Amino acid sequence: MSQPSEVKEAADGEDTGSPPPLSRPARLVVALAVAACVTTAIVHVCLVFLYVAPSNTVSQRYAQQINAWIYPYFEQNWQLFAPDPQYAQPQISARVATTSPNGARKVGDWVDLTAVDVAEVRDNPFPSHTAQNMLRRAWAAYADAHGTGGSSDSERARMLQAYLLNIATERVADQSNRAFDAVQLRVVVNPIAPEARAAGGAPPVAASNIRYLPWWQVTSLDD
Amino acid sequence: MTDQELDVRSPRGTVPSAVPPFPAPVSRVITFLTERAMSLHAAAVLRIGYGMLYLAFLLREFPHRDEIWGPGSPWTPDLARELFGSTGWFSILTLSDRPAYFEACYALALVTSALFMLGWRTRAVSVLFALVVTSFHGRDIFMTDGGDNLIVLMAEYLMFTACGRRWSLDARRDSRRAVGSPNRRVPPSAGQQAVLVRQRLSALVHNCGMFVIAAEVCFLYGSAGLYKVQGYLWRNGTALHYVLGLDLFRPWPELSHLADQHPILVAIVGYMTVLVQVAFPFVLFSRLKYVVLGLLIGMHLGIAVFLGLPVFSGAMIIADAVFLPDRVLLSLERGGWKFGGRILRGIMPTREEPSRSTSIPRPGLPEEMTHRSPM
Repeated sequence: MSQPSEVKEAADGEDTGSPPPLSRPARLVVALAVAACVTTAIVHVCLVFLYVAPSNTVSQRYAQQINAWIYPYFEQNWQLFAPDPQYAQPQISARVATTSPNGARKVGDWVDLTAVDVAEVRDNPFPSHTAQNMLRRAWAAYADAHGTGGSSDSERARMLQAYLLNIATERVADQSNRAFDAVQLRVVVNPIAPEARAAGGAPPVAASNIRYLPWWQVTSLDD
Repeated sequence: MTDQELDVRSPRGTVPSAVPPFPAPVSRVITFLTERAMSLHAAAVLRIGYGMLYLAFLLREFPHRDEIWGPGSPWTPDLARELFGSTGWFSILTLSDRPAYFEACYALALVTSALFMLGWRTRAVSVLFALVVTSFHGRDIFMTDGGDNLIVLMAEYLMFTACGRRWSLDARRDSRRAVGSPNRRVPPSAGQQAVLVRQRLSALVHNCGMFVIAAEVCFLYGSAGLYKVQGYLWRNGTALHYVLGLDLFRPWPELSHLADQHPILVAIVGYMTVLVQVAFPFVLFSRLKYVVLGLLIGMHLGIAVFLGLPVFSGAMIIADAVFLPDRVLLSLERGGWKFGGRILRGIMPTREEPSRSTSIPRPGLPEEMTHRSPM
């Protein structure tokens, strides 16, 4: 850990003459620091590797330790368009219902929320996260948390439902001035037409499928 | 054991040590890690790049700032706090729901990003930058993409690097000070030891940080590639056809349609993407890395234009810079000066005497000599 003083001078950019070598306690401090830093860096790199690598026997066995280290600040996901890009895209629409004082219920037309986002992205070299990610990821996270059944038992599922409802409420309110007390979402999953001459045929998505979410009561229109 | 190794173990002027000296290989590792902060220019490129990118991102979202991070977001402060409660994330943005507080945080983020980019009091500002980036990222966690994710990781890692040592306001200040008083500090012995230890620890932490950043980028490409290899559509060469068909990632539908008209090209580019990503960690130690880095930068420029993802692409391109050696970055800088003229000369600290850079064959060395290390 002590090197010829010319090297030291060049390395540290010091021009105060030849600095004396480190004293014994100083050398110990540096050596201990090297041990600590190198260990930390290597452990970190190994755990990140196990976290991002496809699931394997090692990462399954040490899942608890890996997650304890990675979450929350080193969480990462590099699976953009992998293992397969989406071959179907959701088109999300919303409609509102108004109950008048005499009890009559009036249901509005479907408003295509995804189309608004697509129009925002169009001809825009730097699209906003509000257009590209907000509704898209809210729906993906909601669908992920709720599974296919539509039950919302977990805390996460309930929070994502609130989020999706807030997005829908705001966007519908932007488009119409009418007051409303309930919102319903409809998600049409449109397959992207396969490449005509693709070997092995198209991915297994046949036709559009439509999913209606339950009516959600809107408690406050202030937000 | 040679004389030289013995000399390394018991240097001149050291009090003979009672503890056994470190074995030679250990000494060499310690020297390698602590004597010199490596890739200081690459670290500076990362600092400038991510600072600039985050500033651009914040400014781009200025009209939407309340919707994304503010109290008016559909992901309400209450929801964010509830999620933080379970994930353990911290964000300065959820400390108060008052709009004025949010605007102050947004202004702080703008200023921090700009100062980080410029390299002003870099070590302190880098901590602030990491705090800002993680705070904003956690607040809009359900609106983020891979680019935001990478910026967060880099902000965290850059705190440990000496990324302000080159191409920064700090470097300019230090070089001016050095010119003004060449022997400004000759500390007393105990203080001198402390300074020496501090320099070594700074270099050590920097080198470990750069290693982690490099490993992180390798894992990023490696895992992106490995997952794609598992994908049916990447294997049959039509993956990019589907990517080009995504409405939300198609700012120029005519352009996407035009590219999609050439299935052979789409298949070749798709295969190249997977190959280059998987190969990336393996080519880093050969000259082939420049070819692969060039292909990756091309790929990311394509993503930026075709898919409308400039922040994502920018984050990836900047990350690639960690693999550029200082001599390459310095020759790029010299090329930049030749073409860029004298306008920037007043801003940047280096190359104050152009004749020098042409007369010295090793461009790394004069830099090393003229700058004091502030840390």
